[in-house]
Amino acid sequence: MRKSYVTNKIKPNEFDALIRITVEMSKYLYPYIREIIKSKENIEQNSVIWNDFNNRFIELIKERFNVDSMRVKKLLNQSENDEIIIKSLLILSFCISNQGYRKLKNFLHDF
Amino acid sequence: MQNKFSFNQSSVSLEIIGLPDYSNNENKDQISIISQWKLTIVDKPLIEGKIEHLGPIMDAFYIYSNLLIKNEIPPIYESKLIDIKADNLHIHNIVLKSSKPNVKPLVLKLGNSLLSDILNCFDQLNESPKVRIRKTDIPTYIPKQLRFGLNKKVKFFNFFIPPFIAICSLILFSSSFIYFYSPFENIENKELINP
Repeated sequence: MRKSYVTNKIKPNEFDALIRITVEMSKYLYPYIREIIKSKENIEQNSVIWNDFNNRFIELIKERFNVDSMRVKKLLNQSENDEIIIKSLLILSFCISNQGYRKLKNFLHDF
Repeated sequence: MQNKFSFNQSSVSLEIIGLPDYSNNENKDQISIISQWKLTIVDKPLIEGKIEHLGPIMDAFYIYSNLLIKNEIPPIYESKLIDIKADNLHIHNIVLKSSKPNVKPLVLKLGNSLLSDILNCFDQLNESPKVRIRKTDIPTYIPKQLRFGLNKKVKFFNFFIPPFIAICSLILFSSSFIYFYSPFENIENKELINP
């Protein structure tokens, strides 16, 4: 899915390290993640936060991902990507405890 | 003197009140015998109960959160004590049923932000070395559709992979016979039989 000319397979220890970094970042960013999730609950009142986040998300996807891929196209479609974004944010917000590393790993293995 | 511990996350606070189990040589600042717990959510009624209610309520939230993430259809969790159903992907209906007769169930509508706050409070409680929880078993009901959804990937592979491998091996095996078959020899043989 990434915009890359080299196909490197990720090693297990690199995968673990990425999960640990993601969990630590989620702990740090929890207040922001929470606000973004909350803005979607009441979209009429707080549409600014959600729209800003969604626009930035799409910008980053276009910048770093292979836009020709069908899965990436689905991420870019604003009417279809809501569920994917909300579920991803929820997973991050559920994994901010000390055991968050294990929880996130389990969630990713189940996907 | 009872001990009291609080676990806080944004708009939610979980308070545990209880005593240490001195018969188990525990420190005086621990809690093993929970006498009361209180779950305070901003702008929502106070939820409180006894130890036998805390375990099933925590399990309900954990199971529901897993269903919410893993399934595409709106998840449902039902038990004798608590029902959780999704209105949509963002709002969840929680029905807390009282164990006392003639008490109406408490209905709450929670958003994803409060749901994650509650789960994080429960995580803090589970990870706290100062509080030990002995969980009790209460039967739960998860719809069959969801149960299938949990094993969907495994069942899909179990169903399709064996015939797929069988067809592939049949094609590979039968393709080797092409080397033993010569159409010109067959025609010559037929001409010899019927000149």
